[in-house]
Amino acid sequence: MSSPAADRASPARRRELALLLLGLPALLLLGVLFAWPVLRLLSMSVADGTLHQLERVVLDELYVQVLFESLKIAGLVTVICLALAYPVALWLTKAGRIGLTLGMFALLLPFWTSVLVRTYAWMVLLGRSGVINRMLRDLGIIEYPLPLLHNLGGVLIGMVHVLVPYMVFPIYAALLRIDPDLPRAAEGLGASRWAIFRRVILPLSLPGVAAGCALVFVLSLGFFITPALLGGGQVMMIAMLIEQQVRELLDWPFAAALSAVLLAVTLVVYAAIGRLTKGARLASP
Amino acid sequence: MRQFTGRRPWILAGSGLAAGLLSPAIVSAQTTPPKPDRIVVNASGGAMNSIFRRSYFAAFERLHGIRVVDTSPVDFGKLRAMVESGNPEWTCTEIGGQDAMRAKEMNLLEPLDTSVVDRSDYPENARDSHVLTSSAYTTALGYRTDAFPNGSQPKGWAEFWDVRRFPGPRSLRNHPADNLEFALLADGVPMDQLYPLDLDRAFRSLDKIRPHITVWWSAGAQPAQLLVDREVVLASGWNGRFYELTRRGAPVATEFTGGSLKSGSFGIPRGTRQAYWGQRFMAVMTQPELQAVYTTEMGYPGLNRRTMDFVPAELIPLMCTAPGNIEKQFWLDVAWWTANAAIAQERWNRWMLRR
Amino acid sequence: MRLEVSGIVKRFGGVTALNGVDLAVEEGEFLTILGPSGSGKTTLLKSVAGFEVPDEGVVRLGDQDVTMAPARHRNVGMVFQNYALFPHLTVAENLAFPLQMRSVGKAEIARRVKEALALVELDAFAERLPRQLSGGQQQRVALARAIIFGPALLLLDEPFGALDRKLRESLQLEVRRLQRRLRLTTLFITHDQEEALIMSDRIAVMDKGRIQQLGTPSEVYDFPVSRFVADFIGESNLIEGTAQGTEVYVPGFGALTLPQAPASGPVTLLLRPEALRLGAEAQAAPCRAQATVLETVFLGLSVKLRLRPEGGPDLLARLPLRPSDPPPAPDGATVTIGFAPGDIHVVPRG
Repeated sequence: MSSPAADRASPARRRELALLLLGLPALLLLGVLFAWPVLRLLSMSVADGTLHQLERVVLDELYVQVLFESLKIAGLVTVICLALAYPVALWLTKAGRIGLTLGMFALLLPFWTSVLVRTYAWMVLLGRSGVINRMLRDLGIIEYPLPLLHNLGGVLIGMVHVLVPYMVFPIYAALLRIDPDLPRAAEGLGASRWAIFRRVILPLSLPGVAAGCALVFVLSLGFFITPALLGGGQVMMIAMLIEQQVRELLDWPFAAALSAVLLAVTLVVYAAIGRLTKGARLASP
Repeated sequence: MRQFTGRRPWILAGSGLAAGLLSPAIVSAQTTPPKPDRIVVNASGGAMNSIFRRSYFAAFERLHGIRVVDTSPVDFGKLRAMVESGNPEWTCTEIGGQDAMRAKEMNLLEPLDTSVVDRSDYPENARDSHVLTSSAYTTALGYRTDAFPNGSQPKGWAEFWDVRRFPGPRSLRNHPADNLEFALLADGVPMDQLYPLDLDRAFRSLDKIRPHITVWWSAGAQPAQLLVDREVVLASGWNGRFYELTRRGAPVATEFTGGSLKSGSFGIPRGTRQAYWGQRFMAVMTQPELQAVYTTEMGYPGLNRRTMDFVPAELIPLMCTAPGNIEKQFWLDVAWWTANAAIAQERWNRWMLRR
Repeated sequence: MRLEVSGIVKRFGGVTALNGVDLAVEEGEFLTILGPSGSGKTTLLKSVAGFEVPDEGVVRLGDQDVTMAPARHRNVGMVFQNYALFPHLTVAENLAFPLQMRSVGKAEIARRVKEALALVELDAFAERLPRQLSGGQQQRVALARAIIFGPALLLLDEPFGALDRKLRESLQLEVRRLQRRLRLTTLFITHDQEEALIMSDRIAVMDKGRIQQLGTPSEVYDFPVSRFVADFIGESNLIEGTAQGTEVYVPGFGALTLPQAPASGPVTLLLRPEALRLGAEAQAAPCRAQATVLETVFLGLSVKLRLRPEGGPDLLARLPLRPSDPPPAPDGATVTIGFAPGDIHVVPRG
């Protein structure tokens, strides 16, 4: 029963090594296809041996302002996604087989349609004479069309629509991982439905919430088609500027500098989210 | 991604610039090289490639018995990488926007063999040594005919700026190109004195129209859609998009006054193995009868003067190069934009952000 | 508080999990539901806890009918199979949870948590998270959490299953001691008959959604009311014989006379392995046979033999063993075996 530790360590280490070898192709692929290009891109921003390109970004009010605007929009999208996704994820864990199948289908369906098509679909729905405005007018609820499109609201709607599944799935996965005896135990100990949610379900799903938030936030920062089309020029995001530099102006060093700053900000946000979720455990009474 | 910003091949018109900066060996075709089983033509894709298939590709295959394989999208970076690797996959390729001149300057293109590619029926300023100007198009003013019936639409950008006489929501492109020119025209700068663009004056003029622009569009398909959906009653846009709506009977028409003309370009990647057949393909592209097919379908006229002889008469007034239209427009200065794009774009971004 | 369950029926689809269960647990009593998996014992526990609503029947706690009451209003403490400790809360927070739910004041909570920790000897672990504790410590936290709020009833759902044998035994005794001290009415669920025999005041043996026998451990062990109970509890030799008046014919042993006459015809006789005698001791036994030793298994304090009597069914014998004792007989040897009629229990035929 208590064999010497050394006897067990070497097979365990061998198994670890085997696992590592199994993961090696994926790691290599990630390294070659992701880490290496990213490093090359970043190095491009300092290729002239100076920090000039980076200075151009961080000292220019234009880019700083767009960066803040992007963070603000990404934050809003994340919050809205969270508010919409949590109840859906909760419902999925309680739905029967048919509900679950339908729910999953509804969530996955948009993935089979391109972002571009979905964005155009929103334009049809949200326009001045779009489906929604026409319906509201026909019902006599409004007299003049509501400005649903070509503003921040339109951008948020379009982005949330694309990103909400990325929030649902991590939360759903976290909720599934919760031992069903825990809410039962809490109930037996006298907890109301709300207390069970507030004290048990919610804190235990926080890792999923954090993962979903991080995912949605970072993906939001990379959006440029949707804000360009649904924003009608009223919304400018940093990814739009990067795309401009890469494709139109061919100023790759500057695009690299913009990307580097975006990457840095993203990492800071990641770290902050990680801190928050760790802190959340301590904060609960 | 290409369809997102749409076709952006710009003009090669003022092509005194950079012609013959380099003197690469002319590919002379004294003897006919062996026929390959196929050549590869790279273009924008979508509707354009399928019209190409019906016109140029079919004719080339009939003429030479060589299959034409088409690829897309147009990608300047890829062209550069291909040429630098020494084995370009493309026999011919479309080249977007200001990149045509840049490609030539960077020595990425084979010179055109004038004994094969006959452009005697082309305007003189469209006979570049390395670049074939495939078609012309313009950024013009699209409008709803029910909002402005019986020719009451604004004619020119000064009238577009005049929101009292011509009320209604408007749309312009979220981009400095064209718009700076339009702003200067609206402010009274004569068409032949636009360049070099006076940025300060252009942005001051834009300040005036800004509150009336409800949508700054970014995809080529948007202006037509905005007009159809009554989102706006006036919009700048690529004339082919309006042309298509007009032909389909939608209440949308094009006003060419103050339009910004540009042209699409093709070239032969330097070092491609089938360069000889690339020249032959370019020769097919200069045929007026074939250009007319493309012109009729897309509304972007080919540059061969005789092309219009083969286009249905009732469609000719809808062409940007038709007599009566072409005089009202100016050719966008690719050289100015190549030199100033970054500055103009940055100022544009700043201006857009200020609200 | 007294628990009374009467006429409970619970069906899941076509399966009847509980088929009319009547049971009373007296105040302060430790009652064990013993049964194999699928016998319905977990469903019964859930009905008592309030996690299942029975289709028929009544659950009464004290003088209150709680059949329909939600779990949170029943004031029942429960220790789950896997403890169900809240992994994100410290030990102290886990213990405070039921008190917070009852709006107990902060100072009072602190005092009672401290007291409960002392009760289960975990004073030093208040600020640990469950995952930082051993299995046994987790088990004690779960127990403390189940009793800290003074429940009317304590439910234990196979709480020792995940522990190794030594720890299990010491915790069994600890739980029993605590239960006696606090006079907690306790309903204990297990499939481990040994555990049931050690801990219980009374045992209810369940099978197929019904209680097969209810009695003290010795009643259930010595006088099983059915073949199932006899077989499920302890090791047993179940011998098929034929009765005629007080005479019973046992294959291999011949006829023997029982103190009381069973119904005539075929009977099942229970002979516990420890009641079977061997060698010299068997010579004096009223019922004897010659048997071959098939197999010998040493169990430390005892030795178990598998024997084949001439003309009779294979039997198990368990003999106490002192360290210096030689093995009773080598495998393959022929020995005399025997028992007294008083060692025999006639198992009623169900």
